[in-house]
Amino acid sequence: MGLRSYIITRILLTIPTLLLLLSMVFLVMRVLPGDPVALHFEKKAEPWQLEDMRRKLGLDKPLWAQYADYILGLIDINYFLAYGYPNLGKSMQTYEEVGGQIFSAFPATLELAIYSMIIASVMGILLGVVASKSYNSILDHLIRGFGTVTYAVPVFFLGIIFQLVFGVFLRWLPTGLRISASVAPPTGLTIILSMPSGGFISNFLLSSIAGLTISAICIAILKVKHVKFRFKGFAISLAVFIIAWVVYAYVSWYFVLKGKLQIATGLYTIDSLLEANPVKFVESVKALLLPSLTLGIILSGIFVRLTRTNMLETLRLDFVTAAKARGLKESTVTYGYALRNAFLPILTMLGLQFAMLLSGAILTETTFSWPGLGRYIVQRISFRDYTAIQGAVVMFGLFVTLVSLIVDILYAYFDPRIRL
Amino acid sequence: MEKIELSIAVLVLIGIIVSSSTMYYTTTVMSNMSTLSGDMSTLTENVLNLTSTVRDLATITGTLAEAMGEFTGTLADLEARLAAIEASLAAKAKETLIVGTTDSVELTLDPAQAYDYFGWCILQQISGTLLSVKPNSTTGSDFLPDLAESWNSTSDLTIWDFNLRQNVKFPDGTIFNATHVKKSFDRAIALIQMIPEGAPAGLEYDKFINRTEVVSTYKVRFYLNYPFSPFLGILACRSSAIVDPTYAPNAQVNYTAGDARASTPVAFVGPYYLSHWERVGGRDIEIRLDKNPYYWNATSGYPKTKTIIFRFYSDASTLRLAVEAGDVDMAFRHITPTDVLDLEDNPSFKVWWGTGTFVQYLCFQEKRAPFNDTRVRVAVAAALNRSSVCQTVFLGLAKPLYSIIPLGMLGHTEAFKKLGDANYTFTRSLLATLGYNETHKLTFDLWYESSGHYPMSAEQALLYKGALEASGVMQITLKSAEWASYKLNRDNEIMDAFVYGWYPDYVDPDDYAFLYWATWLHLNYNNATQTALYDEARATTNLTRRTELYAQIDNIAVEQCSVVPLYASGAWAVTKPTVDGIYLDITQDMRYWLIYFK
Repeated sequence: MGLRSYIITRILLTIPTLLLLLSMVFLVMRVLPGDPVALHFEKKAEPWQLEDMRRKLGLDKPLWAQYADYILGLIDINYFLAYGYPNLGKSMQTYEEVGGQIFSAFPATLELAIYSMIIASVMGILLGVVASKSYNSILDHLIRGFGTVTYAVPVFFLGIIFQLVFGVFLRWLPTGLRISASVAPPTGLTIILSMPSGGFISNFLLSSIAGLTISAICIAILKVKHVKFRFKGFAISLAVFIIAWVVYAYVSWYFVLKGKLQIATGLYTIDSLLEANPVKFVESVKALLLPSLTLGIILSGIFVRLTRTNMLETLRLDFVTAAKARGLKESTVTYGYALRNAFLPILTMLGLQFAMLLSGAILTETTFSWPGLGRYIVQRISFRDYTAIQGAVVMFGLFVTLVSLIVDILYAYFDPRIRL
Repeated sequence: MEKIELSIAVLVLIGIIVSSSTMYYTTTVMSNMSTLSGDMSTLTENVLNLTSTVRDLATITGTLAEAMGEFTGTLADLEARLAAIEASLAAKAKETLIVGTTDSVELTLDPAQAYDYFGWCILQQISGTLLSVKPNSTTGSDFLPDLAESWNSTSDLTIWDFNLRQNVKFPDGTIFNATHVKKSFDRAIALIQMIPEGAPAGLEYDKFINRTEVVSTYKVRFYLNYPFSPFLGILACRSSAIVDPTYAPNAQVNYTAGDARASTPVAFVGPYYLSHWERVGGRDIEIRLDKNPYYWNATSGYPKTKTIIFRFYSDASTLRLAVEAGDVDMAFRHITPTDVLDLEDNPSFKVWWGTGTFVQYLCFQEKRAPFNDTRVRVAVAAALNRSSVCQTVFLGLAKPLYSIIPLGMLGHTEAFKKLGDANYTFTRSLLATLGYNETHKLTFDLWYESSGHYPMSAEQALLYKGALEASGVMQITLKSAEWASYKLNRDNEIMDAFVYGWYPDYVDPDDYAFLYWATWLHLNYNNATQTALYDEARATTNLTRRTELYAQIDNIAVEQCSVVPLYASGAWAVTKPTVDGIYLDITQDMRYWLIYFK
């Protein structure tokens, strides 16, 4: 099986996985006692009002019809084109589009996940390598101890300790929320398109100059690397370049007419940079530091242990001895040769840990009042908001599936045996 | 080779996007830089001016010493100016009050829908009502003119006239008048069919208001279907907020991302306006209120603090940490009793105590044994120990309640004191007549809510169980359910005895007395005498008569024990010691426009 067919099979396999997850969540939510309709009314509710509400929420239909509605909604292309997110139904509590709610909450979780994963993997791998290099020394024991303790300690406990130390006693960092009250949340890159001169022509020129510059750099790199540059390849890249150029010029010109172009990711650290606002950047990093450190440290434990074990095995292999015998630098041998070979299982773990990370995010988000998807789920459960929880779990599932898909593909790419 | 060609194409594509965005980005930075350099040159110019002035002075006075003297003078002047700037900066910092809370607007800031504490709280700051309850009110029935300057009614209380304040302006120049009032109430009533869970529906606007009529530009008249004494109280609550016709369609107004004005239909007549409202996943992230320049009372210096920013924490413990870390100036709802008492001892914080109008009560399911027998209910009610719960669980922050109407309100009595607290001799003798004793104990389930909908429910339940079992003739099984299931259990009538709670909609005994037989509690209890007394109390303004009637309702309640009042507690707020102007009175309202920094 070639890499391409492997990837295609792998992608196709995610569909039944997600469908299974969806069906399970759908059923489990409806088995739980509690009625989302009754929860609407603080006091008086006439039976006809309850019936009316049930009809409004589609709960009067039989279970299979509700399920069919839900699945059909998910693949509703027209809805997707109109709103920009899939139709996950309306919230049972607020009637708002669940898709919109989830997409507004997701960037916060994503930002937390990315930074925690960076902290966890960098810290875990480095400590693991250090431990394996100083095998059986005090340092090794200390690092192993660290790995075990961090793996065992609950997220909220570490979080509260951090809040107490850095927030309450030292007052260096905020105890929660995504950004300080002194600044407004970053809006991302707003291009007020009255710039240079604003018309279609100037934008066209501007984008062509930009594109040409970069393509020149690309060609130069290819030349240096001695890549053969045949006619066909050149024609393709030229065509793509021209199409992209025109499209880009048109899109930016279109937004000139609208007056401004807004590019926002929802990740505060990135948006503040896009906004070119260093104050907001510092504030968002300050707010992000404690939660991502908490989650990162908790997750780093498993990486420490895994890296250490794999490195110990690899360091004993002949090729390491050979590399050392050839007089290569110690760091080149360790990081360039040994770690590269010990990396595959760590990569797998990285993918698996993302699932763990999301469950950790639920606790971290509650501890740090972080307005992400985790906190969203916790709040919605108490309202028996079936659609909202289904949507959020599907989103989590999709995220984990995507990450493991990427990891699997990378794995197959690195290790051809997988594809066989 | 194809792969390389494809990657070149992709690289080129990425290149175009990256480079062009870089260029835009650079332009933004450059324009910022040019602003900065502009500022720098202005500064240099000013410095040059200053120097030349100094030099001129030196020339004029002629002597170096004098010039030096002048120079020192200028320096002192500069210092004074700097100090003034610093002072104004400090003052500016005090123009913003940062409030931490665990609340969130449930759904909308539309008075035709909002029926949650925090939604009403924000609405109170940004909207206007015809009248309002006087801060520090002890009865909740001393009203202040707000958008109405005066009012009167016919003696049978069915027709009410309101003379409106004149020269109240909306931002677009429209003058507030009687049509706005009519539109607000017509809209609230019209939307009841569409929003059956909204506040006007819950308060039954459609039942007691017959119609609203514009008498003249500044005079509006309400025709009621029957005499209704709590009418003024209802007019002062948030579902009676005046809406701006431009922003109030005949449909529910919902949160609109990025557009605070379009997110609420209320008119621009309150002390503040909603300047920023951000929600993520159906929960508030940030609410910012700014001073309303068009507020009719702005000339008297209200609101006292220019900006209020609300910050939303996930639970009581994180909120407490934020208070301690100094991240917020004020924390209101919800800090636990333990935390608040802890903070009270700390001189870096100030704790504000409110009057108690939140009540909890014990309900009995009368559909089946054992509580279908009144004597069993009475026996259990007599064995309760309210003061031990108030002391042990609420550390003295809650007060035992012996009438469903809380202390301080018209009609409050001590009726249930007749049965006593932990009155075991009475309980034992009464239960003995029914055949219950040490060997054959009265057994039932006592339910409490377990997801924090009410404060300290589990702790309370343990103490109730302990006190009841101390009688020696009862055996209680504690059961719990989180809010969603609890409410369902209530409707399905499966709980023998359960603890429930109540926040007032408007400050009037009318909003409490009916709890004894509230149909939505599903207790299968009904008492025609009580409802008749209640209806009579509704229809009279004679306070002595009303007091008498509520006392009679209470007396029947003691004999029947359908619902047994347990305790009443108030709200509390924690602030930095520099914050002042908080009135936590019987209304449970937080009036942010009165708060200021000392």
